[in-house]
Amino acid sequence: MQNQSLRRNPPTWLPTTMSESEWQRLAPLALVFLVLTGTQKFVRENLFLFVGAGAGAAFLDWMGPRELLLGLLAVFLIIVASAMIYHRRFRFRLEDDAVRVRRGLLVRKELRIRFGRVQNIQLGQPFYFRPFGLVRFSLETPGATEKEVELPGIPMALAERMRDRIAGLAAVDTEQDEPAADRAEGHSDRTLFAAGSWRLFVHGLSSNQIWLLVGAFAYLFGTFSERVLRRLADTPVAEDIARTAPTGWLLWLGLLVFIAVGLFMLSGLLSLIRFHAFSLVDRDGRLVGVGGLLDRREQTVRRAKITGLTLRQTALGRLWGSWYLLVRQTRSGQDEMNGARQGFIVPGLRRDDTSLVGELVPGWQVPEQFALISARYRRRYWLLGLILFSVPLLMLSIWLGQGHPVVLLVGLGLAITTLITHLRYRRWGWALDKGQLWVRQGMLGQSLDVFELDRVQQAQVVQSPYQRRHQLANLNLILPQGTVSVPFLPLDDAAALANQALYAAETSMMHRV
Amino acid sequence: MTNSEVVFSNREVDPGELPDYRDVALQPVVAAYLPHALLTTGGFWAVVVTVALVAPRLPFIGLDLGWWPALMLVPAVWFTVLTWLDVRRRGWALREHDLIYRSGVIWRKTVIVPFARIQHVETASGPLERWFGLMRVKCFTAGGMMADLSVEGLDESLAQRVRQFLLEQIRDDAEPESSPQPTDLAADDHV
Repeated sequence: MQNQSLRRNPPTWLPTTMSESEWQRLAPLALVFLVLTGTQKFVRENLFLFVGAGAGAAFLDWMGPRELLLGLLAVFLIIVASAMIYHRRFRFRLEDDAVRVRRGLLVRKELRIRFGRVQNIQLGQPFYFRPFGLVRFSLETPGATEKEVELPGIPMALAERMRDRIAGLAAVDTEQDEPAADRAEGHSDRTLFAAGSWRLFVHGLSSNQIWLLVGAFAYLFGTFSERVLRRLADTPVAEDIARTAPTGWLLWLGLLVFIAVGLFMLSGLLSLIRFHAFSLVDRDGRLVGVGGLLDRREQTVRRAKITGLTLRQTALGRLWGSWYLLVRQTRSGQDEMNGARQGFIVPGLRRDDTSLVGELVPGWQVPEQFALISARYRRRYWLLGLILFSVPLLMLSIWLGQGHPVVLLVGLGLAITTLITHLRYRRWGWALDKGQLWVRQGMLGQSLDVFELDRVQQAQVVQSPYQRRHQLANLNLILPQGTVSVPFLPLDDAAALANQALYAAETSMMHRV
Repeated sequence: MTNSEVVFSNREVDPGELPDYRDVALQPVVAAYLPHALLTTGGFWAVVVTVALVAPRLPFIGLDLGWWPALMLVPAVWFTVLTWLDVRRRGWALREHDLIYRSGVIWRKTVIVPFARIQHVETASGPLERWFGLMRVKCFTAGGMMADLSVEGLDESLAQRVRQFLLEQIRDDAEPESSPQPTDLAADDHV
């Protein structure tokens, strides 16, 4: 269904009958993609040099615009040249159960990905690929630090055939009656969820990217406001401002509201562009998410490769009643550091849509009630906060006097810490339903993790002296997608959960990852 | 419709009847681990204390702090005592299906790793460990950096046997899909 909008007839210059077991090259247009991603990478990796400590403006002053342009041109040429070499050397080949890729600028690398290992198939179509029926095709395997195979710029039809072959082949494992080839053609699509534009906009309003935008704006404002104001001072507008000086605070308030509204709108629009016409489809048992305006992305995931789900609501999302869902899969140590990999996100959910969890993984449902952790968690951290703050508070109030702003600030810090402890305590919760464990955490927002106990890779039970005195423990369950922890459980509960997880992991022969 | 669901939908387990990891009697670490641990911790702090005492008196620094730097002895003694207690508490055990390792004095930690989840095993020993005839067994599971368990306090033959045992366990219940197979071939592989 959604897929139709992606599909275009393959260009005539590329024969569709070309045998897929031959070494193949990327389409010429892939160069555009390589150059663009190369430029993007260059900007991302060197931005901090420019931005760092407001050096950008100083740098611009120091270097003439002509030199700057020349330098940028040189960089661009290098990027284009390396993209051309990369493109020239790039070859890929399909085998019965694997795909092989040869690539490399200086060192030639060869990569072979077995289809059985693939946990995520992505088809992306940047807008400039659309008229030519090309797509970017990438495969992800567990433990990979990056998408191991990315084929930018191959015909849509080929990519779709590869996708069906990879996902279809996997289906043969469990349903042997149906040959994969037959199934590949006629898809039985069932839409599980479709997000309207308004919901996607709201997703953007509540997304944490708003803080990023605020940061970027504050930086730009800090760097350029001085120049702008200096220039403004010479214009008649300055006189107008000077005349309204008595009501100046109103002006500033208005400006602030204006900026805030603008940033929210921007965040909403970014989300609209990113997820445009998002829909989640069940295609022959596989999960497919499609969305995006400028770069239409389609992600295919086999249910067996889902290691857990996360339902999340940001603090702002609570105002709007907006949730989103993350499909969790095995990840590498690298992700934890930079969080670079864009996961499988289902945006724009409402409270009632959280039942979608059961559609994604049959049998899963959001529990009505969560068991809370021990109230000693709150008491412990309240006490720690009190001790931590009271000493400086006492010393400062003797030194500076009780009404001093610094003293009030520290007092406020104490109050906020106390409140945060309370909020966090109230959010912590867990629920065990048959084999699935739900863990809830958060502060103003909340995050609900669910996984099957047999996915547990390691169980850790940790106790501090205080916890030992009160028969409590922290439980860390290490999962392929990361660690889920529950603090301050009664020791017997923690041990029982660990025992159950181990039993589940040891009796199930599946998922070594 | 995956196998895992079939395995899981048909079981109702009474948690009370499950084997409890707490009931297992853990093996203490080998005797040689104590001098090794004390030597590494004590050695580290000896260096710190010496630097703290000597550095201010060097001619080109010439600070006279008196004997105040000797206060560094307090954490040195504290951490050495902790190490000693830690070694006495450290323990490990192999069950039919998992490996248990306990460590820590203040924060006491017990880690349990099912064999079925271990991706690979290796042994390692530094020069000092070799001097004492010690060896570590490292187990790697999926789940990122936090997921690597290093079992310390085994002697060389024991470590080799544990490693061998773990490897056999891994091989036993390996299924075809997850059999160790390189996904990433070396650069000179192409023909």
